[in-house]
This record gives sequence, C-alpha cells and structure tokens, in this order.
Amino acid sequence: MSAPATTAPAHGHGLEQSKFWIFVQIAMLLAVITGLELVTVYLPFMKWLLVSVLVVLSTVKFMFVIFYFMHLRWDRAFCTILFFIGLILAGGTMWALLKLFGAEASVPPPAAMADPPAAVLRVA
Amino acid sequence: MSSTAAAATIDHHHDPTTSTGISNKKLLMWAFLASDCMFFGCLISTHLIYRLHPPPGTLPAKEVFSIELTSFSTFILLMSSLMMALAVNAIQKGNLKSLRWSLLTTILFGCIFLGCQVYEFRNFVFEKHLTITNSILGTTFFTLTGTHGLHVLIGVIWLSGMLIYSFTGRLAERDSIDVEMMGLYWHFVDIVWIVIFTAVYLLEYL
Repeated sequence: MSAPATTAPAHGHGLEQSKFWIFVQIAMLLAVITGLELVTVYLPFMKWLLVSVLVVLSTVKFMFVIFYFMHLRWDRAFCTILFFIGLILAGGTMWALLKLFGAEASVPPPAAMADPPAAVLRVA
Repeated sequence: MSSTAAAATIDHHHDPTTSTGISNKKLLMWAFLASDCMFFGCLISTHLIYRLHPPPGTLPAKEVFSIELTSFSTFILLMSSLMMALAVNAIQKGNLKSLRWSLLTTILFGCIFLGCQVYEFRNFVFEKHLTITNSILGTTFFTLTGTHGLHVLIGVIWLSGMLIYSFTGRLAERDSIDVEMMGLYWHFVDIVWIVIFTAVYLLEYL
C-alpha cells in the first residue's frame, strides 16, 4: 500500500516520545491564544491596534500548527517551500483585492446600493 | 528483512527512494494543500471585500453571530487537531491501540464541530432570517463556511475509513505515511478555521 519505509537510528523512537508532550503543550498554548483573541475584541483600544493583535495571534497559531502538528519542523525544507508558495500567492491575492476594493474610487454610489435596477435604467 | 534492519526504527521524515527525499504521497498532499490555500484565500477575500461596503439595510453580523458557540467549536477543532497529531505519533511508534482511540476521538470532535455548524446554520436561517440568497453577507458567509464544513465532512469520512481499516490487521508502522497524509489534510482544515474565526467572526465585534 505504501512505499518501502527507510530505517533510521534508534534515537528516532526517543524523538517520537518527546513529540507527544510537545503536541499536548502546543494544544494548550493554542487554547490560551484563542482565549486571548476573544478578550482582545472587547478591549477599548484603537481598531487598527486590535486588528493587528488579532492578526499576530492568528499567525502564531497558524505557524504552530503547520510547523509542529503538520511536521514541517522535522520534514524536508521542500515541503515548507511548496506550501509557502501557495500561502504567499493566496495572501498576495487577498491583499491586492482588499487594497483594490478598499480604495475610495471603489465605494459603490449610494443610488446603486439602494436600488440597482433603477440606477441602471436612469443611466440607459 | 535482516535482523539488523528489523532492529532499526523507520525514518518517517525522509524517503531515499525518491529524488526529493520526500514520499510521493506526502508531496502530493502538500501540493494539494497549497492549491487549497489559494481556493480558501479567494473565498475569504470575497467575504472581506463585501464587508467593506455593506449595502444599506444589511443586518449587522454582530447581531447574527453567536461568539460563544463559535468559540466552543473553534476549541473543539483545535483539540481534534491535537488528537490527530497524537494518532500520527501513535502509528509511527507502531501503537495501533493508541491510534484507534486517537482516531475515534478526532472523529468525535469533528462530528461535534459539524453539529455546531448545522445548529448555527439553522439558527441563522430560521431565527435570524439570514439565507444564502437574501443578502450579500449570507451569500459570502454560507459559501465560505459551508465549503469549510464540506472539507470537515470529507475529513470525518476519511478518518472513519482509516479507523475501520485499522481493524483489518493490514495497518502497521510501515503504513504511517497514509495516516500522516490524512493528518495533513485534517490540520489544514483546522488552520483554515483559525483564519475564518478571526476574519469572519472576530472582526465583526471590533
């Protein structure tokens, strides 16, 4: 069913044992960070600061899951590169679209937003 | 197999039979996940764009969402990710009993998450009157979270199949790559939810 497995030195089993506790500790940390995110949205600070904090906390959670739970930390660098290509393309597309549609010129005119068919008829 | 080779442990992170040193199955899964990143990136972008300039009369998302339920389902999905990681760890040590319990717990948590999603969707449609067709918020929200829910459902079915297969006596440490592939998919579903939780739910409360 799978490719022939390769052999590794005996300390491989010791690594598997320590991974158990690493995973448990990271799961606890992720739960704590989720709690911090929940508290953050109710803090009376500037919106840009709160958004930045949320983005940072989410990124930390994201990185912990991909590098530890998904084993990127222990695998070949090529797996990391492959995944980050997709991630960077996705992130770049998101950023570009948000910049484009967040611009002043992209705000829909009030008439179009309230009654689109009528606005189209007036233009015609 | 010689007694010397049998005494050595299997290296689960390197495969010298391939030109990249990475198992072909693992490489395939990482390539698929990279493409799925772009897919979800587009769906999340669409939701965020339409939230920039909501049409007049749009129901505020804060009045629709239930942050308590969403937080609970986020926690459940995180714990399911832990159990999946422990399942992969178990099969890499050749521990089938641990693998089965971890897979069962992962499936259970996945089902709880799906149950929360179904409850949330029903609440939005029947109590809050937010549907996929009656507003932009509904369209983007249900498309995004519905697609994610579908991914979770596929994961639960895959996990169930693997759990049943583990009872046939044909699953062993040498087959850990198959469980690891499944684990990669499940963790990806979790990291997408991490982004959705922040971008779709939490940002509405600022």
